[in-house]
Amino acid sequence: MHRIDFRSLFETLPSPHMVLDRDLRFVGVNSAYEKAVLRGRDELVGKGLFDLFPNDGESGQRLRNSLLHVFETGESETLAYIPYDIPIPGDPDGAFEQRFWTAVHVPLRAADGHVQFVLQNTVDVTEFVKLRQAASLPLFRARPAELQLLERAREAEDANRQLIAESSQFRRLFQQAPGFFAVTFGPTHVFTFVNDAYLRLIGGRRVVGRTVAEALPEVSGQGFIELLDGVYRTGKGHLAEGARVVLDQPDVGGVREFFLDFSYQAIRDGEDRVIGVFVQGMDRTEAVRTLRRQRLLLDELNHRVKNTLATVLSIASQTLRSARDLPSAKADFESRIIALSKAHNLLSERQWASTDLHSLLLQEVSAYGSERVIANGPHVLLNPKAAIAFALILHELTTNAAKYGALSVDGGKVLVDWSALEDRLVFEWKEEGGPVVAKPERTGFGTLMIERVASGELTGTIAADYAPEGFNCRVAVPTRVYREAGDGAAN
Amino acid sequence: MALRTELPAGLSVFVVEDEALVALNLEDILIELGCNVVGPAMRIDRAEGMFDEALAADVAILDVNVAGTMIFPFARKLAERGMPLVFATGYGRAGLPEDFSARPILQKPYTTQDVRAGLAQAIEAEGSATA
Repeated sequence: MHRIDFRSLFETLPSPHMVLDRDLRFVGVNSAYEKAVLRGRDELVGKGLFDLFPNDGESGQRLRNSLLHVFETGESETLAYIPYDIPIPGDPDGAFEQRFWTAVHVPLRAADGHVQFVLQNTVDVTEFVKLRQAASLPLFRARPAELQLLERAREAEDANRQLIAESSQFRRLFQQAPGFFAVTFGPTHVFTFVNDAYLRLIGGRRVVGRTVAEALPEVSGQGFIELLDGVYRTGKGHLAEGARVVLDQPDVGGVREFFLDFSYQAIRDGEDRVIGVFVQGMDRTEAVRTLRRQRLLLDELNHRVKNTLATVLSIASQTLRSARDLPSAKADFESRIIALSKAHNLLSERQWASTDLHSLLLQEVSAYGSERVIANGPHVLLNPKAAIAFALILHELTTNAAKYGALSVDGGKVLVDWSALEDRLVFEWKEEGGPVVAKPERTGFGTLMIERVASGELTGTIAADYAPEGFNCRVAVPTRVYREAGDGAAN
Repeated sequence: MALRTELPAGLSVFVVEDEALVALNLEDILIELGCNVVGPAMRIDRAEGMFDEALAADVAILDVNVAGTMIFPFARKLAERGMPLVFATGYGRAGLPEDFSARPILQKPYTTQDVRAGLAQAIEAEGSATA
């Protein structure tokens, strides 16, 4: 088998070719190029293109932009028509010769994929242009085919330049748009464009020129590459709302969870073949988190309502069960619900955090004034659960005193004392000056409830004494139970 | 639901419920249904204590959130012993972990009929599971 000698192939190509490195210095030229620019390779290789062929005008700018663009994007570019004068070698005045060219710039990639060189194939079209200039003279009616070709090339180039100007404006718009945009090319989804918002999302990583799988390794296994494959294969777009993705943000320190609305759309060429995918979307992470928080709050609210209803149901059935008659059942039920409601008011005033014992007491006994209910104790904060429990206890004690005890006659008093010891809260209720007390024959709901709340719910102790000179009782609650954080209302 | 809601006489029901009023009501309901009430335990540590002291009950009604502590680790201990379980909750079925998702629940607030049906379902399910 014969092997092609590519060096000699390059050398003998009839059309001028040259290769530039990233600093736009000549790396190699073939002999057709030497002839075209009137320079030998010894004069060219190692020298800068724009040092040898300076051009401060628009053409110089276009040529430079085109070359840099190929290095940057890895995409080929064609300058269909470019006037570019070259110095006449050995001219004592440094005169230039007028020349017209077409040029094609092709990226040459290194093994790692980055664009290392650009190959330029250029054709000197000066003769055609001169023909055209001649054709514009009145006597020349006939136009050679070459001339028409050139004119078309020139029109195409003009149109192309206008497009580039417009598209660079679009590019700026995309670049700075609040939504994220990216363009991938080919079946392996090589990034060719990402805007600022996309860059922020991926933590500022350099991805252009790399495949999605290489550039964003954490995305593999999350289904997105498969989606891109599908869009590329079928040409059918994909829409997603609130899709969860885990992305690495090395610039801010690591992997984070995002929720994105996004779409993938196929990009097609002139023959309707899919050549890439257009990615656009919005980062909806904050909105999704807010929704979740609301959902949690709603769940919690629902749960609290259910629990409160369970309590109300219990109060209703207990009250009905132990009532003497319906009117007294109604009165007892109402007052118990109101006591519960007031305790809720106090708690909600404090964002359901904690409530002080003195406020709870005042709320219950305010009708009797501070001369008849004498409160004495330090500032003690109760967690919500303990607060509700104490509100119920205080209500039953007060109701009892008002019906049968010290608050049922003029001149009766209640001494309420509490102290916060290291390990427990001790609360004492002592009635004076009321009717002579006798222990009731059967345990009413109120007494039963106080016992249950104090000993069961608050894991404390309760001692009630029906002394003839006045009822008194003493409740002790462990400090950890009335102080401990945690949701007192949850069940 | 056409559940058979006849309960065995003298059924022992272990109750874990941290709210005194709700527990009182449940006790009344259970007594009305002819059951014996074991407990109520109003804190998890109390429930654990009863469990360690050779708890004797035919079925348990468990509040899901007991003073801020989830019941499920404790519920698993009971389940391992083959005790039929009913969960009482304000959260609904979505609040149950997967291993308990098929267990009967009492959605708060509940009635006497709800308790009867829940107990019957729990006993029947456990009976068929061990049969």
